[in-house]
Amino acid sequence: MRILGTCKIAESGVFVNGLARQFEVNEDWKKDLYASLNIEYPKFYKMDALAKMAFLGVELLESSCNFDDYSENEIALIFANRYSSYDTDQRFIESYTEKGSPGPSLFVYTLPNILTGELAIRKKWYGENIFFINEKFDAQFFIDQINFYFRKGSKACLCGWVDSANNQEECFLFLVENSIDEISIEELIKSYKQ
Amino acid sequence: MNIHITGYGLITSIGLNTEENVASLRSLRTGIAKGRLDNTKAYNVGEIHLTNAELKEQFKLQTDGSRTALLGMAAAKQAFEGHVLSDQIRTGLISGTSVGGMDVSEIEYKNYLNESNHNPDNYKHHSSGTSSEQIAQELGISDFVNTISTACSSAANAIMMGARMIKSGTLDRVVVGGTDSLTSFTISGFKSLMIFDDQWCRPFDDTRKGLNLGEGAGFIVLESDKSLEKTGKKPLARLTGWSNASDAFHQTASSPDGHGARLSMNEALRISELQPGDIDYINAHGTATPNNDLSESQAFQGIFGTAIPPFSSTKAYTGHTLAASGGIEAVFAILAIRNGYLYPNLNFKTPIAETGLTPQLDFEEGKNIQHVLSNSFGFGGNNSTIIISAV
Amino acid sequence: MSDLKETLKEQIIEQLNLEDLTPADIQNEAPLFGEGLGLDSIDALEFIVLLEQNYNIKISDPSEGKEIFQSVDSLAAYIEKHQ
Repeated sequence: MRILGTCKIAESGVFVNGLARQFEVNEDWKKDLYASLNIEYPKFYKMDALAKMAFLGVELLESSCNFDDYSENEIALIFANRYSSYDTDQRFIESYTEKGSPGPSLFVYTLPNILTGELAIRKKWYGENIFFINEKFDAQFFIDQINFYFRKGSKACLCGWVDSANNQEECFLFLVENSIDEISIEELIKSYKQ
Repeated sequence: MNIHITGYGLITSIGLNTEENVASLRSLRTGIAKGRLDNTKAYNVGEIHLTNAELKEQFKLQTDGSRTALLGMAAAKQAFEGHVLSDQIRTGLISGTSVGGMDVSEIEYKNYLNESNHNPDNYKHHSSGTSSEQIAQELGISDFVNTISTACSSAANAIMMGARMIKSGTLDRVVVGGTDSLTSFTISGFKSLMIFDDQWCRPFDDTRKGLNLGEGAGFIVLESDKSLEKTGKKPLARLTGWSNASDAFHQTASSPDGHGARLSMNEALRISELQPGDIDYINAHGTATPNNDLSESQAFQGIFGTAIPPFSSTKAYTGHTLAASGGIEAVFAILAIRNGYLYPNLNFKTPIAETGLTPQLDFEEGKNIQHVLSNSFGFGGNNSTIIISAV
Repeated sequence: MSDLKETLKEQIIEQLNLEDLTPADIQNEAPLFGEGLGLDSIDALEFIVLLEQNYNIKISDPSEGKEIFQSVDSLAAYIEKHQ
């Protein structure tokens, strides 16, 4: 397998393929980054933090990865995080405990895999998608999963560790293509830790 | 290489074990009724009438946990009964859940607001992964534990992942399925989507208005050929097909023509090397929402044409148990194969105008059932299908 | 009535997270769903919450919403009639 591109967004900045973008990750960073990308997709504003981060990550990855090289069901989506949809869960609970009526658009996002659904809708990807809850970013776990998907015929895997809880946000995406090369775990961890 | 099924267990609102579930299925007895708890009493739900303490006692559970975890332990323990742990057999547990320990968080949140007995330690249950760790601990499984959270397809995806891990030789034996308890969180959520039926839900009926929620858990045990040689277990059925596909249409709604459902069923058939005509019974996702049942019916017509095998939704018995449904319905599929059962689709009167399909209406037994296809579709357009076959 | 419509536009933008729109972008008679603002079934449910929270009007069958939520005009007319 071969890594075609990585995108990391954290407090320290926005990095695409290891290179820092001129961008300040402040409180409104998702909105600002969206505006800077000149995309017309009003649904973005309705997404929760997890989906917004993944959405932006994919747009950034697109600068170096050509998703169109794959047909609609050749890309598998493999995502994971630690806190599931915790932030949105809390906002949803507030909507019915404090504001009286449960908010439908909040409830929709109380599942982490809505993130993969949003990406699929945006890109018209009909392949597999899965969301795992893991203690921490586990490079070996991702590599094992990617191997499963390549064995079953996926051409590429878009992987992500996207988490949002307790005012901490992080988003790390990487696109992997099936090839005879091997990815080292160290390499993957290095990109993640950037 | 075969994926053998050597155990199954479930707990639902129609029974605490296999025998009770079969008795209810046979006598057309639903588990859906007015809720008995503060947060459920305004709704028709498939509630399990045992407190957490009673669950622990009844199933002799040694491990503490949220209600989701306890239900999972009850079902997984039944599935794993008679299995012995050994260094020679790498054994894993993969569990699907959508609410995890939300039930504990809800209690803690109230305590926090009232500033009474608040114990932040209890939030450890909130993470969906905690429930799987606790179920694994109860069974003594430690080689591999994982949690899948893809809404209502979680258990089906857990089963699929288990099959792949066995096929690749990563595990020899794996307990797979899902668990979810009823919580204020999910009740409020589905209420906000206005897809509850205040009556008894009517899957595949033209007058269907929505779903009834339920709680429960269902697990099965998968083993490789190599594992079977060592355990000497007798296979009860085989897992022959699995698939997951994206619907890429809407966060919660299914595409009108059931595109993702079709992709998923087609691929599962391909993996099992079966033709549509080989399927003897379909356990449908059939939530009884206007959207799902129409979309799924059209997907059936797309795959099976006019020769659709007997199909039914068992959710009018159990309620929609969300992440657990794929596990519970996998157990129903195994029982259908082993005993030749066909399950009725309760509350059906009028076919959906657009498709005109009539589901299985009576409980039947002694049928020759070789292959069962079972669908589980989750929010996020996450569509999964598994196929279980006779030995 | 025109005050109500202006208030409604602000509430719609707020409730539905239409962050790149201003009240001036929403025409009174323009369709809200379909091509209009690109709203979907979840937004229709948010309209129901909006009516309940701000105008104390309860709608129990979402299919009733289709007519009511056609445009700002129809929404305002419904509120005037039911308050």
